[in-house]
Amino acid sequence: MHSFIQLSILVLLLPLLSFVLLIFFNRRLPRGGDFIGIGLLGATFSIAAYLFWQVVVVAYDPAFRIAWDFTWIDFGNVPGVGPLEIKMGIMIDNLTVIMLAMVTLISLLVHIYSTGYMHGETYYGRFFAYLGIFTFSMLGIVLSDNLFAIYIFWELVGLSSYLLIGFYFHKDSAADAQKKAFLTNRVGDIGMWLGILILYSQFHTFGYEEIFQHIKAGEFHMSQAWLTAAGILLFMGCVGKSAQFPLHVWLPDAMEGPTPVSALIHAATMVAAGVYFVGRIFPILTPDALMVIAFVGAFTAFMAATIAITQHDIKRVLAYSTVSQLGYMVLGLGVGAYSAGLFHLLTHAFFKACLFLGSGAIIHAMHHEQDMRWMGGLWKKMPWTFATFTIATLALAGLPLTSGFMSKDAILAGALGYAEVEGGGLFYLIPVLGFFSAMLTAFYMGRQIWLVFFGQSRTHLKPADPHHHDEHGHEGHHEVHEVAWNMRLPLVVLATLSVFAVYSPDPLDGAKGWFMHLVQTPQTAVLATTSHDAPAGDHAILHDPASPTVAGAHHAGAAGLLAEAEVHADVHHVTDAVHGADDAHHGPTFDDPRQAAIAHAAHANHYNAITYSTIMVASGITLALIFYVFGFISPEKTAQRIRPLYLYSFNKWYWDEIYNATFIRGSLLLARIFSWFDSNIIDGVVNGVGALVRRLGRMSGNIDRYIVDGAVNFTAFFVQSSGAILKKAQTGKVQTYVVMVLLAVTAYVIYYILQLQP
Amino acid sequence: MDVVTHIGLTHYLVISAMLFAFGLFAVVTRKNAIVILMGVELMLNAANINFLAFSKYNGGMEGVMFSLFVIVLAAAEAAIALAIIINIYKTFNTVDVSSIDSMKE
Repeated sequence: MHSFIQLSILVLLLPLLSFVLLIFFNRRLPRGGDFIGIGLLGATFSIAAYLFWQVVVVAYDPAFRIAWDFTWIDFGNVPGVGPLEIKMGIMIDNLTVIMLAMVTLISLLVHIYSTGYMHGETYYGRFFAYLGIFTFSMLGIVLSDNLFAIYIFWELVGLSSYLLIGFYFHKDSAADAQKKAFLTNRVGDIGMWLGILILYSQFHTFGYEEIFQHIKAGEFHMSQAWLTAAGILLFMGCVGKSAQFPLHVWLPDAMEGPTPVSALIHAATMVAAGVYFVGRIFPILTPDALMVIAFVGAFTAFMAATIAITQHDIKRVLAYSTVSQLGYMVLGLGVGAYSAGLFHLLTHAFFKACLFLGSGAIIHAMHHEQDMRWMGGLWKKMPWTFATFTIATLALAGLPLTSGFMSKDAILAGALGYAEVEGGGLFYLIPVLGFFSAMLTAFYMGRQIWLVFFGQSRTHLKPADPHHHDEHGHEGHHEVHEVAWNMRLPLVVLATLSVFAVYSPDPLDGAKGWFMHLVQTPQTAVLATTSHDAPAGDHAILHDPASPTVAGAHHAGAAGLLAEAEVHADVHHVTDAVHGADDAHHGPTFDDPRQAAIAHAAHANHYNAITYSTIMVASGITLALIFYVFGFISPEKTAQRIRPLYLYSFNKWYWDEIYNATFIRGSLLLARIFSWFDSNIIDGVVNGVGALVRRLGRMSGNIDRYIVDGAVNFTAFFVQSSGAILKKAQTGKVQTYVVMVLLAVTAYVIYYILQLQP
Repeated sequence: MDVVTHIGLTHYLVISAMLFAFGLFAVVTRKNAIVILMGVELMLNAANINFLAFSKYNGGMEGVMFSLFVIVLAAAEAAIALAIIINIYKTFNTVDVSSIDSMKE
């Protein structure tokens, strides 16, 4: 076994050990055992950092890959299924190592942060235990080399998310939110499981690599539509976990959990697991499946951004922002900008974790005030939080010199390229929604920064809440202080990781950085030649190699673009030589002409994307300045003027209400129908059978009572009465008996004599 | 006339039968237990007469032997019966068999 594999097993199991120790012994340990959690996570992070150093810095090889597996369960030959063998294994490639480092680092920082934020909580120790099992499950997702294992860990992160959202389980809202999150995720996971089963039914394996190779070898014997269906079903897992439309509704409610959890699970890691999973299965996704993914991502990004601009709760703004950014990542993968999408996953993890931890610091300092309307003027009181929060905000908004700028622009360039290759029209909706979301992001983050940190403190404006004052009667007058070092340190680390220099020497181009070099778009396993199964229509013609006119032109165009890309790359090669960088632009050469064309078009659109997005971000910031800083336009009056739109956004596009009216009401109605069916039909049958049996029993009882008992009683009566008659013969007088004997003998003698006479 | 002039087996048998009938009559009708015992003796002796008569006319000694046995048996029987009667008397203060009917219950 390779030593990296051994180390990664250690990375996987140490957080589990932390969980086991803390869940059983947290009450007996001093400080709830938080030092165990932090110590073990520190060790985990050190190992992950060592792996990161070895793989990313020392090896620096895009093709780096180590895999190891073992047979976990061997069912032998199962009737109806065939040989069934479940393997477990670990696969380490560049993406895995980067994710390992990212997850363990953020988890460690959140552990440290929680010692401050969760200080004095009743279930302080349990909180660290839950963080441990979450980290374990998340690392399991990252390390798994097959669909079965990832599904197990997928459910485990769902469980830990459930436990942590409902950490304040005594609050109804938290209990409701955890149930909502769990059930919503279940919908996605069913789809994911069906997708896994479709692939298993074809290839009898769960391993990613094996599945890719089988598909590449053309061993998928059903029609292409089934492969598309498998891809979309697997993507449903991502839709649930990464809160994509239409299953996004749980994530904002998940903010009921403690803020460190929001940072770790609901911003940086778990919700990104869906994106990571789509990245893992990327080669099996057909063009149709990718199109669905791209549209879902674009719509989610736009919708969530429009909701975020009107929310009052500081965490809810960030939650919708997370949904929106996850939409970006999904969009990126959907348009084939694989490395850009995953790059955004990484950069977003750091700056969004920083934002959430920053908002946690604010909430902590404001004594559990989450409503931005009653904040303001905090920048002087909390300079560290302000500085880090601002850096992370700039990264989220996508301003140049930040990490978010590079990753977001790579995605948008990919979207532009995709739309160009796909033939424009409706496909331009994807980049357009992306650019609008970029503007909205800048706007709502500008609004948030302004409302929270600038202006005058509005604490006193808060309408009196008698219930609230009963609990914290005097706290309203407390001074707001900067948080302690254990909460500041994570903020500083995360803010540092939001700067461009960590990722790329060129602030305008992430493609020159190490991430885009190491994580390159994999070759699609779906061969273009198999797409003749696709349903008829424009799309089929587009991909149909047998159609010489259109597809030929298309392929010629693609080849032309490819050639152009090489020329382009050469030009860049010369310029890049100054930086001494690799020819990162060149990237992999694709066998699939479509993939090659998209990659080239994405690259060609790089500077367009930068230009457009900078314009959009600038206009978003300008709008925020106009509304909130300079006050040219009053936000309240505008809200009044466009009240229907405002309410539509404020009420989150009424998704909760729509789901309530359809799915929840529907389920309840269905439940009521079933309940009626159960209590009337099923119970009726049961009761009918019961009544029948009772009647039969009564009948049988009567037979027993009157016929059987009658016979017995009659016998007894007969014996008794005959005895009564016969007992009269027993007089007790000897002479009577003698007479009887005499009579009997006489009778016999007479009989004998009569016998003698013939 | 043979019946009158010549004493034969039939005479003995008639006598024996009459004697048996008298004995039986005594056993069935008398109330005194001792008289009943006497009736029994009569019946036994009627049987003896029968044995002896058949013995004489058959020419064997078996009848004589049997009647001797019966006499011995009658003696033993009389002794036991008298003992029983004494015990009955001690228990019931009477030897009237018609009033001794406690075996009915």
